Amino acid sequence: MDDFNSAAQLAKLTQLGKTPSERLLSLFDALRDAPSSVQMATSIADNAALLAFCTKQASALGANQPRMLAEHILLIAINANLQSEQQARLDCLKHGKKAALALILAQTQNQPGRLNWLWSKPAFYGLSVGCLLAVSIGFGLDIAKHPLNISEQTEVTLSAKDASLLYAKYEQMRQGTCQYPEALQIPDQDKAVYLENVVGGKLPTNLKDLAIANRYLEKVRCNFTPMLMANSTS
Amino acid sequence: MSTLRDKILATATNLFQTQGINSTGVDNIVAEAGTTKMTLYKYFRSKELLILEVLTQSQQQFQTWLNSKLDSQTQQPAEKIQRLFDCIEEWVSSPDFNGMGFIKAAAEFPSEANPVHQLSAEQSKQFRLYIRSLAAQANIKDADGLALQLSLLFEGAVQAEQMQRGSGAMQYAKKAAKILIDGSLAE
Repeated sequence: MDDFNSAAQLAKLTQLGKTPSERLLSLFDALRDAPSSVQMATSIADNAALLAFCTKQASALGANQPRMLAEHILLIAINANLQSEQQARLDCLKHGKKAALALILAQTQNQPGRLNWLWSKPAFYGLSVGCLLAVSIGFGLDIAKHPLNISEQTEVTLSAKDASLLYAKYEQMRQGTCQYPEALQIPDQDKAVYLENVVGGKLPTNLKDLAIANRYLEKVRCNFTPMLMANSTS
Repeated sequence: MSTLRDKILATATNLFQTQGINSTGVDNIVAEAGTTKMTLYKYFRSKELLILEVLTQSQQQFQTWLNSKLDSQTQQPAEKIQRLFDCIEEWVSSPDFNGMGFIKAAAEFPSEANPVHQLSAEQSKQFRLYIRSLAAQANIKDADGLALQLSLLFEGAVQAEQMQRGSGAMQYAKKAAKILIDGSLAE
């Protein structure tokens, strides 16, 4: 990789990740093949297109301050790549990627407005259907008691029922204060789904991801006390 | 120690931090310090030596402040590393914050052959080793890895703050550091 000044390089970053968080973190993978040089650092630091690309991914993630997240991740990548010794540089990129992931979590966990996308028209429609379904099957307050029924199929598209049940879960979580499992303790192969579909509150696109998301949704613990107290006084 | 030498050093530190190292000439320093070039060169044989001395002293002062701050808060190693970013956030939020000497110097002197760049790289390494020692004392398994993660977070946040004061980057770095430290302690 010569630099990040071409549309082709940005397209490569897009291809390296399926999700916004994967695409943001793919910068560290792309740099593994790049030279360590001041020229490379400058090509990243002065690259408006790359900053815009990263800011767009950070926005899609639901980051509280997308531009700041993008800038901070780029700075970490630049600093990590400045090591001249090859092995030290690869170590720095590996740990820089972990630091960037923690930063993504810091900007997306426990944000009250994180699930605001639910109020968009299509999402609200799905949510309403989900709530009706939830009521009809006696969906309770304890999320952990109601895992979704996932078959062994992997790449099958979600059914309307799967989607609406998940919407109902997201909506329920929105009503409380939730504690998420630490992402660093989650296996690497599940991290992207965890960030996008559990922390980010976005609907998975296939049953395989839904199964993973559901497994971690069951580990989310939510406190609904303030809501119940509010109801009891009204 | 000569008070005149101290005055030149303090003036140079202030000008380097606020105007940049390359933008500050020896003429500026002597004019601001109320002395002459001859006196400056008596204590510091070249501008480069003055820069190296400023960097060394600034880093020592920061490290001394950080050590005493952490020591005054707790003696428990696990708590010390958890409070590291609280102290750093306090330092960055201070009105006197003008950035980190070695980070600014490394950017102004990008050539690896330059002694200023070499000292900056060494100070960056020493700070990482300091974090590593805190991690090791807290019995964190991958102390090297955590130190690398935290130092990259720290340097990125300081650079973001240098670019825009009050950006809030350090607050998120502190949150991210907590995630990384809690994860390492749980391993």
